[in-house]
Amino acid sequence: MSPPKLTKDQVQKLAFSAIGFVFLLYVYFTFFLGPLNRSRAAMLVTIQDRQSKLDASKDEMKKAVSLEKQALTATNRFAALRALNPEGAPIAWFPPRIKTFFANHQIDKAVARLENSAAFKEAELSGWTKYNWLIDLPQADFASLGTAIAELENTEPLLSITRLHIQTLAGQPQFQHVELVAASIIEKR
Amino acid sequence: MALHLNLLHEEILEQRQRQRDPLKIGMMVLAGFGAFLFLYYMFNAYRTLEIKSRLRAVERNWTKIEPEVTAADKRVAELEGIIKTTSALDNYIENRFFWAPFLQKVSHCVPPNAQLTGLEASVLDENKGVSVSLEGVAAGREPRSVAEDLRQMLIEQLGQGYSGVKVEFKMLEDLDTIVNVGGTNMPMAHYLLAVNFNSGPMAKSAPSPSPERTRKR
Repeated sequence: MSPPKLTKDQVQKLAFSAIGFVFLLYVYFTFFLGPLNRSRAAMLVTIQDRQSKLDASKDEMKKAVSLEKQALTATNRFAALRALNPEGAPIAWFPPRIKTFFANHQIDKAVARLENSAAFKEAELSGWTKYNWLIDLPQADFASLGTAIAELENTEPLLSITRLHIQTLAGQPQFQHVELVAASIIEKR
Repeated sequence: MALHLNLLHEEILEQRQRQRDPLKIGMMVLAGFGAFLFLYYMFNAYRTLEIKSRLRAVERNWTKIEPEVTAADKRVAELEGIIKTTSALDNYIENRFFWAPFLQKVSHCVPPNAQLTGLEASVLDENKGVSVSLEGVAAGREPRSVAEDLRQMLIEQLGQGYSGVKVEFKMLEDLDTIVNVGGTNMPMAHYLLAVNFNSGPMAKSAPSPSPERTRKR
């Protein structure tokens, strides 16, 4: 059976239909299915991202709880070290404290002067400052001085004596003139 | 055999031609394909809506949990900072040089017929070592040997607590002065000792003079 012969009018209609079909496909994929698929893909990526954040956040919260338990000693120790120094400018409270301390060890006339202060280079100690003090004890006897220094080193863990000068007094050989250079670490407040 | 006459031959042929009209067939195929595309679109739209509702649920969860997570992050950073700072401070505290035990050792070394008149001591940079200068006078029949006894005692005593102990005379000279020790006149010598040592791990804080003075760590 031979295919039916198409008239010119029919061929034109077929050609227009074919063009219309192609246009329809273009519109369908470009303006309907394409945006829909893109928005779905974007939403899937967002879901994945949020889900991974949620999973990570659960781990993070577990880590925080676990770290809180582990850091209990460190936080207590940190609080204790912070509590060693009162608030306010160190120049206001350090010299009187030192004077009282040595007076309690029968060493009178103790004078503490601030030599200099410097920030730490270490990032972990960025909140702390090192103060260098010159402590002058014009009249001290060696035994009292030894006891006082031992007590000072034991009760002031953030204080470190870096230089010590002891000289006998000419007229009073039982006494010495003592100069101490001490570095103390004090939190910035 | 009966004779069949087809008197509607032309009408039947026209009807068959109408049924096989390619335009009509094409339109039917196009309509079918259009219906398929529409259904496919609807299927995708349904899936998208479903994903959208899932996204909303996840975002609700995230909004609920986000402040807690931010707080936890902040707390973790804070705790890590505290741990590092405490560790650095502890390191500083541990590496201090304790002078009280040193002074105790020096006082134990000085014999009765020797006297210290001056002490100059300093911790070298980064607690690598300690440098001490001791000045004094010694009296005895052999005042130089008294000073030497002091030097030997210092080496022995300081060697028990510190490493790399070096005690050297920077100066040792006889004095013209005569001193009376226990009713006997004795010549004197003036000495200057240079003491160097490393504050090794053996350095410890002084024993507490009272029970309350135990070291708090």
